[in-house]
Amino acid sequence: MSATLEIRDLYKRYGRTSALKGVSLTIEVGEVVGLIGRNGAGKTTMVEIAAGLHRADRGTVRILGLDPQRDRAALRQVLGVQLQESQLHSSLRVGELARLFRSFYRNGRDPDALLERLGLHDQRRTVFDHLSGGQQQRLSIALALVGRPRVIVLDELTTGLDPEARREVWTLVEDLRQEGVTVLLISHAMDEVERLCDRVVVLAAGRVVADDTPAGLVRTTGVPTLEDAFLQLTVAGTGLGPEAS
Amino acid sequence: MSAPPAVNDPGPPAAAWSGLVLAEVRMVYRDPSGLVVPLAVPLLLLVMFGLSGAGTQVPGTGGLTVLDLYGAPIALMVVLSSIGVINMPSFLATYRRTGVLKRLSVTPVHPSMVLLAQVVVSLAQTMLGVALALVIGRLAFGLAVPRDLPTAIGVLILATAALFALGLLVAAVSPTPGSSVAVGMVVFFGIGAAGGLFGPTDVLPDAVARVGEILPFGAGIQGLQAAWLDEPVPVRSVTGLLVTTLLTSVLSARLFRWT
Repeated sequence: MSATLEIRDLYKRYGRTSALKGVSLTIEVGEVVGLIGRNGAGKTTMVEIAAGLHRADRGTVRILGLDPQRDRAALRQVLGVQLQESQLHSSLRVGELARLFRSFYRNGRDPDALLERLGLHDQRRTVFDHLSGGQQQRLSIALALVGRPRVIVLDELTTGLDPEARREVWTLVEDLRQEGVTVLLISHAMDEVERLCDRVVVLAAGRVVADDTPAGLVRTTGVPTLEDAFLQLTVAGTGLGPEAS
Repeated sequence: MSAPPAVNDPGPPAAAWSGLVLAEVRMVYRDPSGLVVPLAVPLLLLVMFGLSGAGTQVPGTGGLTVLDLYGAPIALMVVLSSIGVINMPSFLATYRRTGVLKRLSVTPVHPSMVLLAQVVVSLAQTMLGVALALVIGRLAFGLAVPRDLPTAIGVLILATAALFALGLLVAAVSPTPGSSVAVGMVVFFGIGAAGGLFGPTDVLPDAVARVGEILPFGAGIQGLQAAWLDEPVPVRSVTGLLVTTLLTSVLSARLFRWT
């Protein structure tokens, strides 16, 4: 396999706070990798630097060999991003937004088919502001996929979704894997990470403190569940656990 | 499934431009309340001028009326100013605050394309407002056509450029949609008061009147009055409009935040 996403020695400070302290990460083609960490661990900072929204103070990012800053236009044709928090044009309808975002890409998916797949077919004429939180989330996923990305970043993928919609979105991610799409999934839902991810990267206080399969993390930490492993690793990683003292 | 796109793709297709402009148009017609000030207030001003004896000829102007020399230029500058420094910045500040610009930043569309789409739609609104004011003024109150029409058009273009650039600066320095409207209103009434919105500038303190003549509202009015009279546009008016455009463009480019 070859690397789709390579992050090398990434540093980022905001004022006196170090958000990232030398993060490195490699994701191979077609992998689904989970990025987990407590709030403020640096996950969103890392993803936003990878997506070209911010510049790193030090270090490099390459996605399919492209630099997010230098190769902005080319990268965005192959990268799909679902952001944790963002609104859309408030009075545009679901179908209009899907077609608008489709128009940004040269080789995108059929927006209507995507809305159908995400259970938004009946809401095509509903304006964004009138959607429920879960419907907005599903639309956000649809818009991240409409460009037929080769790499996709999904931040808090299923937050706000009911159990049925969650399962449907999980199936969608599994289909993406089958298509060879590389997925970076940021999540606090350990069942989701366990089900979907080939590998899990744990971030704590701006550093990678573990990088293993879900089963491997549970095994090496010697705890019963992935959630226990996460808690043990992140408490230790922030210097709050007994290992840090 | 078709093949993935080439990684050296040059950017978004042309359809993205039309899509963004169409999105802005839809945003406006689905919430037309923002058009009240730029379209209705100038008409109200014209009606007030028209009904208050503004048909009276101004001595020494060869037959031009108060409506021609004062009512129409003021109404047109209200259209340009309210769209430029109030409406457009509030849309941009809302997009930034709610994360629309950030969301678009991770697509092939650069947020500057949204800004340009907003400018295009604002220009269309401006042309509609100007046309509406002139047609109603002409049909209802006999508004005269400017004697030097190309100059009138040139002044409108320069004034639009200055007020839109000023509006971008308002959007750049306003952290929230609410503050954008507040700053825009202060700018609108500030340049309007100094430029003749509330009456002849000769009743203002001399220093205020002089500054008002070079700020976009007053400079625009003086330029339009010159076009109606077929006289040369004052150099200070043209200079004021050009300097405002240049200065506020540079400042807004430096200060504008996409996220």
